Amino acid sequence: MNSRSIADICRDNERLIIGASAFAAFLVMWEGFSRGWWATLLAPLLGESARALAIKPIFISSPTGVAQQSWTMFAITGEIWPHIAQSGGQLVVGLGAAIVVGVPLGLAAGRYRTFSYILDPFLSALNATPQVAFLPLFVMWIGTGFWMRVLIIFLLAVIPITMNALAAVRTVDPRLLKVASSFGATELHTFRTIIAPSALPFILSGMRLAVGRSMIGIVVAELYGSATGIGIMINMAGASFDTDKVFVGVLVIVIAGLLMTEGLRAIERRFDGWRPAIGDNM
Amino acid sequence: MQGDALQRYTPQLVGAAALLAFVSFWEAAATYKLADPMFISSPSRIASVAAEMWEDPDFWRDVKVSSTEFIWGYLAAIAVGIPLGLAIGWYKRVQYALGPFIDVLNAVPRVTFMPIMVLWFGIGIWSKFAVVFLGAVIPIILSTYAGVRTNEARYLRVAKSFGASQMKTFKSIILPGTAPYIFTGLKYASGRALLGVVVGELYAATAGVGHMIAQAGNAFETDRVFFGVLLFTFTGLVVTTILARIEKRFDRWRPEGAVR
Repeated sequence: MNSRSIADICRDNERLIIGASAFAAFLVMWEGFSRGWWATLLAPLLGESARALAIKPIFISSPTGVAQQSWTMFAITGEIWPHIAQSGGQLVVGLGAAIVVGVPLGLAAGRYRTFSYILDPFLSALNATPQVAFLPLFVMWIGTGFWMRVLIIFLLAVIPITMNALAAVRTVDPRLLKVASSFGATELHTFRTIIAPSALPFILSGMRLAVGRSMIGIVVAELYGSATGIGIMINMAGASFDTDKVFVGVLVIVIAGLLMTEGLRAIERRFDGWRPAIGDNM
Repeated sequence: MQGDALQRYTPQLVGAAALLAFVSFWEAAATYKLADPMFISSPSRIASVAAEMWEDPDFWRDVKVSSTEFIWGYLAAIAVGIPLGLAIGWYKRVQYALGPFIDVLNAVPRVTFMPIMVLWFGIGIWSKFAVVFLGAVIPIILSTYAGVRTNEARYLRVAKSFGASQMKTFKSIILPGTAPYIFTGLKYASGRALLGVVVGELYAATAGVGHMIAQAGNAFETDRVFFGVLLFTFTGLVVTTILARIEKRFDRWRPEGAVR
């Protein structure tokens, strides 16, 4: 009983093994297309038409090309750091502003019915619009600099934050609110001790959605202008057929997105106990 | 009785009044030059531009291009996303193999791939089709998958006990239980698809409503920009309203207490 058979170990880690092999197979396929392995391998079978299986690296890059380019850009020339700093700065300011505006707005609309009636048509309309369509308008108003990009990130992020904060107040246990008002608690006191704690988990979920949205802002807002930023780096590399660089930029965004959403998910889990149980408030 | 009716429609009335106040203030601001109408346009200017463009064949060509991109990209995402989501939910090993790719694609805004799509498919309709497809397919896969996973274990056990074939189980238990989730996914996906159209056309295009907005922006034709934005707002509202209706219609099919 002391040694488990290889078959057992395989069965227990099936998920990891299959996932990792699929990923490895993908990388090998990719590298093979770019280096013409498949073309050479299948040439005896397919003849002339096998040549279509060799795809020029300027179209698809290759895993090794991307790895090498990342190493160069991160460690040797360090040229990627200013781009990351610029985009990160925009993200922090835009997202921060969205939280500062969206949370109180949503809480107020959740608490005061009339205010929610006023806010609702604007919120629904903005939510249904692909907000990036405002981009040319913002460019006209404030140019193509830092603040334009902050504005688009803000607009993308503020909507899920407001909507979640609004929905959060609606889930507060009405019994608690009734008790508070019976005992003459002030509005501020009620907010601080009842509404804020039970709304927090929902607000955090809203922030997680907002992070995803603001990544769209980073990429799209940097379509305009020609300073630094990850989005601009991707666009310029794309325009000059520097596909390795494009993939490095995409990879940076993938990793940043995964890190931020996972980080927020961890915080969310930490506060999950504060979430009022559904159906508990009758 | 009148009081009741008034009370019932309070949300709509207050909302409409707020919208009306906003529009009047906007118009007034432009008329009395509180802000330069060149920057903020005004509701009446937008209306007159709308009337003008209604007659313009170029505008209808833009609408046709954008709707073609939207409809075909979205339909392709449905055709691929639903079967893939069902397969991932039903076969554990398919989920293990494809899960990592879907998680990664879900973590990044798919519009990031725009430069690569342009490189592969050019600046015509195909690069937009690809980005619309990529944007919409992920939410459809994920919610279909979630739907399959929440099917009631009791039913599945009964089906198995009575020796139902996989096909039969699938048709009579999985599909009805999954339908509401699929429609939720379709609703999210429509927003993503519309975003793909806008970004694709802002990025590089020769036609389309997004392209029209970008060009009007460059020429400081604010009225046209606003008209284009409102057109997208209107489209988004119509599409989400229709899909929300359908979603609600199928809501009764949602399995309750669904844990497996």
